[in-house]
Amino acid sequence: MPIRNPAVECLDLEERTQQQLERLQSTLNRACKNVPFYRNQFAENRIDPLQIENLSDLTHVPFTHRSHFSEHYPYGLFAVPLRDVVRIHTAQGSSINPVVSGYTKQDLAVWHEMVARALVAASVSGLDILQIHLDVGLTNWGREYKDGAEAIESSVIPLTILPPEKQLMILKDYRTSVLVTTGSAAAELVHLLFQSNLNPNALALKTLILVGEAPNRDMARQLEERLHVRTWFHYGLSEVPGPALAFECDERSGLHLSEDHFLAEVIDPDSGVPVKEGEVGELVLTTLTTRAFPLIRYRTGDKVRLMDGSCGCGRTFRRMEWLRERTDEAVVIRGVKIHHQQVRTFLHRILGHEPERCRFRVRETRRRDYLEVWLGVDDLIFSDEIKEMEQTSLRLGSELATELGVPVRIQFREPGSFKPELSTDRIEDLREDHGAA
Amino acid sequence: MLRLRNLRCYYGKIRAINGVSLSVRAGEIIALIGANGAGKSTLLQALCGLIPRWEGEMLFERESLKGLKPQDIVKRGMCLVPEGRLLFPPMSVIENLRLGAYLRYRRGENEAVREDLETVMELFPILRERARQPAGTLSGGEQQMVAIARALMARPRLLLLDEPTMGLAPFLVKMILDTLAQLKERGITVLLVEQNARAALQIADRGYVLENGRIVLEGPAEDLLADQDVKRAYLGRDYREFCEGRA
Repeated sequence: MPIRNPAVECLDLEERTQQQLERLQSTLNRACKNVPFYRNQFAENRIDPLQIENLSDLTHVPFTHRSHFSEHYPYGLFAVPLRDVVRIHTAQGSSINPVVSGYTKQDLAVWHEMVARALVAASVSGLDILQIHLDVGLTNWGREYKDGAEAIESSVIPLTILPPEKQLMILKDYRTSVLVTTGSAAAELVHLLFQSNLNPNALALKTLILVGEAPNRDMARQLEERLHVRTWFHYGLSEVPGPALAFECDERSGLHLSEDHFLAEVIDPDSGVPVKEGEVGELVLTTLTTRAFPLIRYRTGDKVRLMDGSCGCGRTFRRMEWLRERTDEAVVIRGVKIHHQQVRTFLHRILGHEPERCRFRVRETRRRDYLEVWLGVDDLIFSDEIKEMEQTSLRLGSELATELGVPVRIQFREPGSFKPELSTDRIEDLREDHGAA
Repeated sequence: MLRLRNLRCYYGKIRAINGVSLSVRAGEIIALIGANGAGKSTLLQALCGLIPRWEGEMLFERESLKGLKPQDIVKRGMCLVPEGRLLFPPMSVIENLRLGAYLRYRRGENEAVREDLETVMELFPILRERARQPAGTLSGGEQQMVAIARALMARPRLLLLDEPTMGLAPFLVKMILDTLAQLKERGITVLLVEQNARAALQIADRGYVLENGRIVLEGPAEDLLADQDVKRAYLGRDYREFCEGRA
């Protein structure tokens, strides 16, 4: 299988360690100099970047949490002046404030290169027609996949928010050979394909790049069997528009992490202490080359296991097993992470008051995942006209879907019909396969 | 080829280099850029054994430079072209060049030294014409050529250059930098410290930006050339825009 840049991807491990140390130290120096948040974090913990003499010394540095993005909304974590930023992205945050990330020209080039290398590892080439089918919550990733695929001269059908029926029509008529999508959206397309009595052999599809949701091997096998394709998983962070930080190679023994641009640690989510080699824990990432929006020890909430040892493909990037459980209370719906606190906050804003009783559940209908919100009807919501109640429900669902980037259905319930202890402090996952298709 | 880890250098109580980690791979040209007083020259001097007090790790071809004297470091294959050339003005060009091979004469490599004299004369043809002339009577550009040629006479595998284009006319700057690119083709690795950041990055493979003794940026030379921070601080973009805007 081809390797886009063997000099980088197969770099000798000793040289990689030196490269990471050099990049880490310059990132810390720059972040401390240019970002007051990091400068204060270091000062409060009496740390000087000079003390980071080895990669393992990074454990002395405090973590960056998702909540920090909201606290420093919008530009508080930028390390370059705004005039150097050529793109600004918005993603879901943990509260009402979204995550705003900025990119210099070089940052964008780095992301495109990372996407390109991940696509090449999946044997995507300039001969392919690549279609991007992602939900609105992953629009940012759609752009990166477009640019990355264009860098390897594939013919790209960029992300357009279309109903699955139209996506299927494009898939068939445009002779798409590579589809970038989430596992759940792929399953939905397959469902539709067979419902429409279309023969999978009528498609030119040979590669499915699955993003946003942790690998589900059973689901992947089903997709491969039903569509006669090969599936490849990519790992990314929705907080920063980084799809394909890690990618599968032909060996299928974990996802190679782009360690030239990221330093990965795995910690015990409770104690924050690094776990032993090969143990499961929370993935913590530090950017090594990012100019505009450096992240230092960012807790991703994703559960992984890092694997040492060489890979048959020749790449020396460490591999990680991306597990489907999370260390926080977020649930992943069609590739987008949703926190219960976030849903509550948006509900409060839309309704104009704190709902007396509510309950959040993730469900699926016809292979389509959605967030179901039970709302106890209080005096402020109640109307004696059914039509008005229906309209309120639709409006709430639509506004919440716009804010969260995932489909939402509102159900009005008698406040006494569900227990208060079932409500609000978590999102129940009622999908057959917890986030998988 | 060269690997520095957490290098700290001191002048008395003053720390001039603050935990620098840097690497040079065989066959590369590496540019080290930064403002005056950033610590660029100190770093080169430390590599050559001229800074007695340093901490951290300096490995050249996997061997530590700890405790080595300057002449030992030259023997190992690392040679410095110092800032300001530091030629011996009353001595002829050829005598200056032979001094560069001093350690090799002592090892009895006379024949090889003669061959190398021919090679450097081919690299800088003007030096053949000036061979018997006192080095102090040469122009700035010619003196710089002598300084580089003298360092090459030691047959270095890693050539360190400290501000080789300082004070030279633009066409001489280009000539000197073109020569460095030729040296790379001949298998000599180059670590170049330059005030003229744009020119240095144009011939370099990778670069490091040093600020107050710390590396604040590193990466492929083309990335650094395009970096807005680097442009503002070292490439004079704002000044040029201002001038061009007024013109």
